[in-house]
Amino acid sequence: MWSRDVAALAYRLAGVLLLSVTLALLSGAFLTAPNLLNVLRQASLNFLIASGVTLVILTAGLDLSIGANVGLSACVAATAFKATGSIAAGVAAGLTCGTLIGLLNGLMVTLLRLPPFIATYGMLWMVHGLTYWYMAGETIYGFPPAFRALGSGYVVGIPVPVYVMAASLMAGGVFTRYTIYGHELYAIGANAEAARLSGIPIRTRLNLVYTLSGAMAGLAAMVYLARLNSAEADIGEPLMLPAVAAVLIGGTSLFGGVGGLSGTLIGAVMLTLVLNGMNLLNINANWQPLVTGTIVLLAVWIDIVTRQRADARA
Amino acid sequence: MRRSRLVNVMMAAGMCLSLSCEKRSTGDRIAVFTKNQTNPYFQSVRLGADNAAKQMKATVIHYVPTKPDSIPEQMSQIEDVITKRPDAIVFIPVDSQAMVPGVQKMNAAKIPVINITDHSAGGDLVSYVGSDEYGLGLVSGRYLLEKLKGQGNVIIIEGVRGSHGSMERVRGFQKALEAFPQVKLLASQPGNFQRLQSLQVTENLLQAHPVIDGVMAANDAMALGAIEALDAANRKALVVGINATKEGIDAVKSGKLLATADFAGYLQGCVGMMAAIRYAHKLVVPKEIAFPSAVIDATNYKDADIPDAQRECPPWEAVVKP
Repeated sequence: MWSRDVAALAYRLAGVLLLSVTLALLSGAFLTAPNLLNVLRQASLNFLIASGVTLVILTAGLDLSIGANVGLSACVAATAFKATGSIAAGVAAGLTCGTLIGLLNGLMVTLLRLPPFIATYGMLWMVHGLTYWYMAGETIYGFPPAFRALGSGYVVGIPVPVYVMAASLMAGGVFTRYTIYGHELYAIGANAEAARLSGIPIRTRLNLVYTLSGAMAGLAAMVYLARLNSAEADIGEPLMLPAVAAVLIGGTSLFGGVGGLSGTLIGAVMLTLVLNGMNLLNINANWQPLVTGTIVLLAVWIDIVTRQRADARA
Repeated sequence: MRRSRLVNVMMAAGMCLSLSCEKRSTGDRIAVFTKNQTNPYFQSVRLGADNAAKQMKATVIHYVPTKPDSIPEQMSQIEDVITKRPDAIVFIPVDSQAMVPGVQKMNAAKIPVINITDHSAGGDLVSYVGSDEYGLGLVSGRYLLEKLKGQGNVIIIEGVRGSHGSMERVRGFQKALEAFPQVKLLASQPGNFQRLQSLQVTENLLQAHPVIDGVMAANDAMALGAIEALDAANRKALVVGINATKEGIDAVKSGKLLATADFAGYLQGCVGMMAAIRYAHKLVVPKEIAFPSAVIDATNYKDADIPDAQRECPPWEAVVKP
């Protein structure tokens, strides 16, 4: 299973490389260190959101509330910053908000036995509604420079959000690959009944992944705030679908049990590359959705075809 | 008898819960349709409309979709308002094309419709009250190019592709550029009226173009996203936005944003409401009321820097010249 996963990753990486080579040939500005760091910085927000969703999807679940969660967590943290002037209080408020929403998702799935799609879809609406009511059309802006460094700072020439992404990837990688919890998540996703019979505490594990997904949304909200210096009620809506797309493009199966965080990183980078490339090449706004759709479909199709060839040869 | 009175009281209480419950007055009942709760612009419109209604002793019923800009939701709110039969409706369609059947329904119910902000593509409208999107792009673009002394490289951050507001504002920017042939337009890319998208687009364009002197953004949130990208990259450029949001005016005040153009949401709410009440009283209302496009910069932001809650609508004659 391990070696097959590595092979699958390699094919996905090949898709990203192919796209990169094409862009490098078309634009001189693409293949430069600052631009590649720029792409990674842009991918970090999507990756942070998508990483939590990856864990949830590995258990054959789904979390549609993450975008809304980022929106509310950002607004709550922004309020706490303004009210207390303390970075610690703001960050704590944002992370707590995100984590609580995640825990509620988990409880809806495990205690109320709602299907994950329904539970988190309902949560999406509730959280959006709460955010709109709470913000009442206002924008909260202007945060302490020390906090802003989390979004716009550099350490040794590398943007801080890239470190946050790398740390999350490593922590998540160790968690999914090398801990018993991680293996249990794959087992639940592959066959929940078998997992239950083998003594895995399914409800506890599911509560854990939904809570983690919420916490990652909270963390993403902090990066968003630090980067944009502003919180408004409609932050979250455009974030949800690209995050779920990054997970699936990265090869994690909606049916659970297959995939992982490195794939999601590749998915997030690929989606970012498409926007980066279209901007560098100044592609007309009206053509951009068509180009995005075509490239995503092509990339995933190439991946499937090469993998089938490789499987046939093996 | 008792039962029906009880029902009436319950219905009145229900209305107070579900709609913004203004002080009851004996005058006209005017319904106001806005697009969402999220954009501060529509909050300004509602406050302007409320103030005009207060001045003219009318009752306001607000209709706002809970899902922002939802076409089906606004459509069902129109069905609802027809049963409530207000004296007139101040209407912002969530979509200028898709809501035409909604306008026709209100026409069929013989309730006068005053259209504000986004021009409905069809239906019978008593009046259209709005700012000139094209003019806003033109004046803010021209202001930037004059400050650049007609030299240098600029980029345009567009709004939502295909939306009327974005297309008209960008057309205004392009018209402004025609008068300055020395200025080079490096790129025109969509920011979807969103801060994050604009930040990322600007970051990408900064990679492609070593020298960018000016940024024309189709709204203030995108202008501020572009400024964050410039700051983080340690690059300098003059940036203009459109809408004159509170945040935009604060950024003008602090010198981060060169200028913004006033979309006059509060005034649109005022004049829309006044037109509705006037029409209900058979007074003359012009078929179209357009506000002149004004740039707000470091020299004149003070007039715009008043919270909407503290403003008063100007008299009708001061805005609408006969």
